[in-house]
Amino acid sequence: MSLSRLQTATDILQACTRAYEAKACQAHREMALGGGETSSPLTLGASAVDHCLEGGLACGGLHEVRSPLARDIGAATGFALGLAARAMAADRGGRAGIVWVTDPATRVDGGGLFPAGLAQYGLDPSCLTMVEPGDLQGAMWAADEAAGCAGLAALIFQIKGNPARFDMTATRRLMLRARGSGVLALTLRQSGEEEASAAATRWRVNTEMSGADDNYQNGVGAMRLSLTLERNRAGRTGQWLLAWNPKDRSFHHAAPNPQARANPSAHSLDRLPVSANRRDPSGKMGQVLDLRRDFGRAS
Amino acid sequence: MDAHPDAPPVVVTDTIKNAIRITALDQRARNSGVRLNQSLSDARALVPDLDCHPADGARNRALLLKIAGWCERYTPLVALDAAPEAEGNHGLFMDITGCAHLLGGEAGLVSDLEARLRAQGFHARLCLADTPGAAWAMARYGQARIIAEGAHAEAILPLSLSGLRLPPAMVASLGRVGLKTIGCIAGLPRAPLAARFGARLMQRLDQALGRETEAISPIMPVAELSTERRFAEPLTHHDEISHVTAALAEGIIEPLERRGLGLRHGRLKLFRVDGHVSELDVQTARPLRDAPLIRRLFAERIAGLHDDLDAGFGFDLVRLDVVHADPFDAAQAEMMAGHSAGQGQDALVDRLGARLGLERVQRFVLADTHIPERSFGRQPVAHLGAASARQAAGNAVLALTPEIDLPAGIVTRPLILFDRPELMQTIAEVPDGPPLKFRWRGVAYEVNRSEGPERIACEWWLDGRGARTRDYFRVEDRQGYRFWMFRHGLYGRETSDPAWYMHGLFA
Repeated sequence: MSLSRLQTATDILQACTRAYEAKACQAHREMALGGGETSSPLTLGASAVDHCLEGGLACGGLHEVRSPLARDIGAATGFALGLAARAMAADRGGRAGIVWVTDPATRVDGGGLFPAGLAQYGLDPSCLTMVEPGDLQGAMWAADEAAGCAGLAALIFQIKGNPARFDMTATRRLMLRARGSGVLALTLRQSGEEEASAAATRWRVNTEMSGADDNYQNGVGAMRLSLTLERNRAGRTGQWLLAWNPKDRSFHHAAPNPQARANPSAHSLDRLPVSANRRDPSGKMGQVLDLRRDFGRAS
Repeated sequence: MDAHPDAPPVVVTDTIKNAIRITALDQRARNSGVRLNQSLSDARALVPDLDCHPADGARNRALLLKIAGWCERYTPLVALDAAPEAEGNHGLFMDITGCAHLLGGEAGLVSDLEARLRAQGFHARLCLADTPGAAWAMARYGQARIIAEGAHAEAILPLSLSGLRLPPAMVASLGRVGLKTIGCIAGLPRAPLAARFGARLMQRLDQALGRETEAISPIMPVAELSTERRFAEPLTHHDEISHVTAALAEGIIEPLERRGLGLRHGRLKLFRVDGHVSELDVQTARPLRDAPLIRRLFAERIAGLHDDLDAGFGFDLVRLDVVHADPFDAAQAEMMAGHSAGQGQDALVDRLGARLGLERVQRFVLADTHIPERSFGRQPVAHLGAASARQAAGNAVLALTPEIDLPAGIVTRPLILFDRPELMQTIAEVPDGPPLKFRWRGVAYEVNRSEGPERIACEWWLDGRGARTRDYFRVEDRQGYRFWMFRHGLYGRETSDPAWYMHGLFA
């Protein structure tokens, strides 16, 4: 009698454990995907990238965009703003507005957003709210608050380098809040290294030469960037060459400029990284000089 | 101020007509025979160990202002005594109309005020009367603390003429003709007095007797609405303050609703037992009428304080003032109710502003100029009407975007603009060719493609003579970095050696 009762209790306990495990497993899977099933993913407009992302970026989630060098910040900003503009245009239940939080360290380089440039880029400057706290802690708090605000379309959190305080815990908190509210949260890391974080994807953005255009031969072309998906929690990674179209606010694939590969920089200085004490300086230190050509020029 | 019983008498000295004279003294000094206006050497002869301090007008005034701020616990109408010609204007006026019953009548208010001031270490002479003039005279030259309603005229008649807030010279010349008390002149014919001593004398007399009304001008603007809680046991914990704030916010909703208003600027005043007053301001981007949101804003404000809110021995009075309120759009609020409360963008802006400071949450505003760094500014969101800012920015952007038919995706303005253009070393064709090579931030770049110039003339009406024209170029280097740079000055016409500046980065 008592044995059978014990058996029943054990059964119940096991059932409970199974249910709990199934729930935990599902939660884990959701977390790995970076977004709930409620919001439709954000497409970039470029078919190969969207295919690689299995439909697009998860809207309620954290994504990281980094520019390896300080001068790549233009391209990285362009990519982040492009994603934000697409999130704005997607019209997900009356969401409006982009909050741009900056770590004060990024102001050392002295650059700020230019509204006339934003307007030409296809983004209404009046929908941007700029938040400039006095320190990194305040900036992280502001980013957390904005990520939890369901009325927003996107949050861009610009930081410089890899501050120790913006660690796994901080990114995870940001990610969870964004997932709860459905805000597209982007970390824009200026001259930052690769770093483990809770972000669903990490993109490295480099600038790319303007395309060859017969009608516009010597002109500076539209924005083009070489995009590397370095990390993707949900799937594959890849590398693409994209261009931005301000009119329909979408990215599309671009053909590489033949000149870009055929005629690398003549200056060895160009290849030097800004500082040599990075983690992986090999392969970038200097350039193999073509001595014959130099001799030929000297003679 | 009370000090140690054995401490020497304290006096305050000031230089008057090249002599150091005593301008203020404490009771012990007075008991030792020291008098006002005595020279310091005479006083030292009487009391050798006199503790003297030089007068500091600025600090006196600051202290008086602090006391005035504290006095707002009795009435919002507190004014500085601003009679420039009279001597000893170290006083405060308080208009307690309609406030006395909160503290047990006039007598209760006066004794409470006196007791609290004494506890803080101040000796104050108080008088409550029907007119500011009569109260001023009685506080300085009389003994009564409360003059009954309608009795002020008789009460001040025996007092010295100095009590009329007159210049000392006028009091002296009146004294020479035997007119020493207010009663002496109250019954005299007005015209000869006014002809001899000026209309000011009659005006001051009329003000003291209540024949002419006198308005006091409060230091702080009076709040539109105000609600407060007093505590027998002072509050010290943040949680308690938070609870009280919530209760005060609840209390303010109903009057706001009745008036059809919403909170735009609220101020929480925390009166500490020892007389210190902490003020916390919160401003909102749109009219707000939601108690939990108001409470949360103040909580953020307290969390964002650099030094913690120092409760000391506790706060015994907490007041919430509605400094500014705007008409509240009820229809809009019902629309917003679809979203859960506190999730909107405006609520976010309010929270960020409350914690980080209003000036740190900004939006772009655009100006009508072609000079890039002047063409926009950043304004705190709380200072912009949300809708109007959006509209203004939208219009100006349309005006700013050049109407040239560019190929698809080509832009003429960079995404990132440097606050200050950065000087570069550049090799460029003269007189107006594009740059060929340049060095910026220590790195050399070789130009692969370039477009320009786009000439932007200086604003001579602002910059004056000698301001230079800018020729902007869009430049792409061999690696594909796209820059916006300009030559400062026209070669040959404005300068022989134009400098080049980096001004922006394209995506």
